[in-house]
Amino acid sequence: MRQTSFLLAAAGILAGGVTGAITTAGAVELRPIIDTHIHYSHDAWGRLPPPRAIEVLKRAGLRRAFVSSSSDEGTQKLYKLAPGLIVPVLRPYRRRGELSTWFRDKTVVDMLSRLLTKNTYAGIGEFHIFGADADLPVMREVVKLAKKHRIFLHLHGDAEAVRRVFKQDPGATILWAHSGFAGPDVIRPMLAKHKRLWADLAFRSSHASGGKADAEWKKLFLEFPDRFMVGTDTFAPERWHFVVEHANWNREWLRSMPRAVADNIAYKNAERLADWALKGKK
Amino acid sequence: MRWAAVLMLVAAQGVLAGAFPGAALAEVPFTAAERTAILLHGPWPLKARPDPSNRLSGNGAAIAYGRRLFFTRALSRERRQSCASCHAPARAFTDGRAVGQGRVALDRNSPALFNLRHNRWFGWAGQTDSLWAQSIRPILDRRELALTPALLARRVTLDKGLSHGYRQVFGARPGAHTPKQVLVNVAKALAAYQETLTTGKTPFDRFRDALARNDPAGMAAYPAAAKRGLKIFVGRGRCAVCHFGPNFTNGEFHNIGIVHFVGHGKDQRVDPGRYGGVRSLRRNPYTLLGRWSDDPKRSTAGFTRRVTLHPRNWGEFRVPSLREAARTAPYMHNGSLKTLEDVVRHYSAIPEGRLHQGRGRLLKPLNLSKREIADLVAFLKTLAVR
Repeated sequence: MRQTSFLLAAAGILAGGVTGAITTAGAVELRPIIDTHIHYSHDAWGRLPPPRAIEVLKRAGLRRAFVSSSSDEGTQKLYKLAPGLIVPVLRPYRRRGELSTWFRDKTVVDMLSRLLTKNTYAGIGEFHIFGADADLPVMREVVKLAKKHRIFLHLHGDAEAVRRVFKQDPGATILWAHSGFAGPDVIRPMLAKHKRLWADLAFRSSHASGGKADAEWKKLFLEFPDRFMVGTDTFAPERWHFVVEHANWNREWLRSMPRAVADNIAYKNAERLADWALKGKK
Repeated sequence: MRWAAVLMLVAAQGVLAGAFPGAALAEVPFTAAERTAILLHGPWPLKARPDPSNRLSGNGAAIAYGRRLFFTRALSRERRQSCASCHAPARAFTDGRAVGQGRVALDRNSPALFNLRHNRWFGWAGQTDSLWAQSIRPILDRRELALTPALLARRVTLDKGLSHGYRQVFGARPGAHTPKQVLVNVAKALAAYQETLTTGKTPFDRFRDALARNDPAGMAAYPAAAKRGLKIFVGRGRCAVCHFGPNFTNGEFHNIGIVHFVGHGKDQRVDPGRYGGVRSLRRNPYTLLGRWSDDPKRSTAGFTRRVTLHPRNWGEFRVPSLREAARTAPYMHNGSLKTLEDVVRHYSAIPEGRLHQGRGRLLKPLNLSKREIADLVAFLKTLAVR
């Protein structure tokens, strides 16, 4: 039933520049996408009110969107409007610009605890943490909170920070933002070692260009077909205008992958992660 | 007692500064690394080689014809505008406005036209890869000069002066060529003229040359405030990472946190910057790889051949040269910063949340003091000839 909703008339889709696969019935199948890296922060609300933001996500053909924002109010605005579309993730930032200070701010822990009790979340993040900072007290508390609420950590950081978090909690689930901006040589051993590590491909492009997956990355995707997912990263309000375009950019290079793996990266891996994190939660 | 010693030292330094070779820098000492970085910004002017994709590059007759084309209003649909309307010589080949004014208000600032022969990409988004292709763009753009190749060919044919000049340069009447051929020829003549818009040595260049030859008197002539600003520029400001080399640009594209919305309310949209530029470039028949290039070897087309569309290109704009910057206000792709002080203040308090950088990020707030801002501005002003 869900699949059918993505079977749209060829003319309509092509007019919008969407890249899809033409089926025998003459319709274009628009590959579903789950965008795992959307922010809806305070400076986006005015320019793109919640109904219009939801409209953008739908126009991109998104099955779901992992949304976090500074402050969390943005996420709640969207979740309230479209609970089936939005996968809420709790960001430890009250305002944009706290990315290099939040992990030394003890009040962050109280804020997270309060909101985790009050609302439904699939994860904590996206937050920025690098190297030894991952062992600072605030970050340790965040890892404990994720464990307590059985949700994932959307971590923007280097391999060292990821390793330190897994050392604190070997059972943690981490969605590694931007795949750490690392190359396959770094990502491969990390995924091999940490079975609960997932990786998003937001705001990076070395894995694909000219509508095709890069050969080295393709090998990695085939080795770990159930660990990667896509995302736009709307870190500034202007990037909301890129969501549709970026979904199509992803659809284009995913066509160079075997269908099952492409579906995994496009939405199935993200769906599994969201379903796990939201299971039993309201 | 201690203070007395310090005062004596300061006094001694003052005497030494005027007395010994190398002391010209004593007031603002540069490290060996800073000296190396400064020297990389010259020598100036650079040697300009003819553009192999434009057979008219450096051709005297074509330059004169290009100049005539640059100032004629016959190249605009309503005969109201010329290239010089937005690129006025008296305003350092800009229009002084935040964004250009064609037949309608445009989205971007009209850039100065100096030293263009050294560019790899043209326009704020790099939508073209040669000066002649960039000269075609406003002629055809419906918001700007709004001609078609056919209308342009007719205008050149019917205008006595333009028709005569065309025959002189191309050895045939415009009517003997297809409209597209006329368009490309006109653009190449325009490019030949614009290549001559170069700038000479500036106070900074004279200081840099003096530093290269270890000439204390030459170095002493450079103002102390500019020296302090230069020290920030090549040092902790890390400005020289992007504003690199003799032309003070790496020629590529970056997102520096400038808002890139266009318009207001319901009509608001986003300028995609380099992302749109790459897409335009790929659709453009007038590139270094296309049939209109005069270079059979396509020897300068390497970058065009390799260009790819990256998600990070969304909101990136070309790093402009800083030469003559003091004369080309306002600044940024949308002219949103009115003065050089505003530009320096932007970097001093750069909105990190609007950037996307990993660890070891290049752009971070410099938190400059008032004096440091003034020093950087003083330095930037020395990049202008006058």
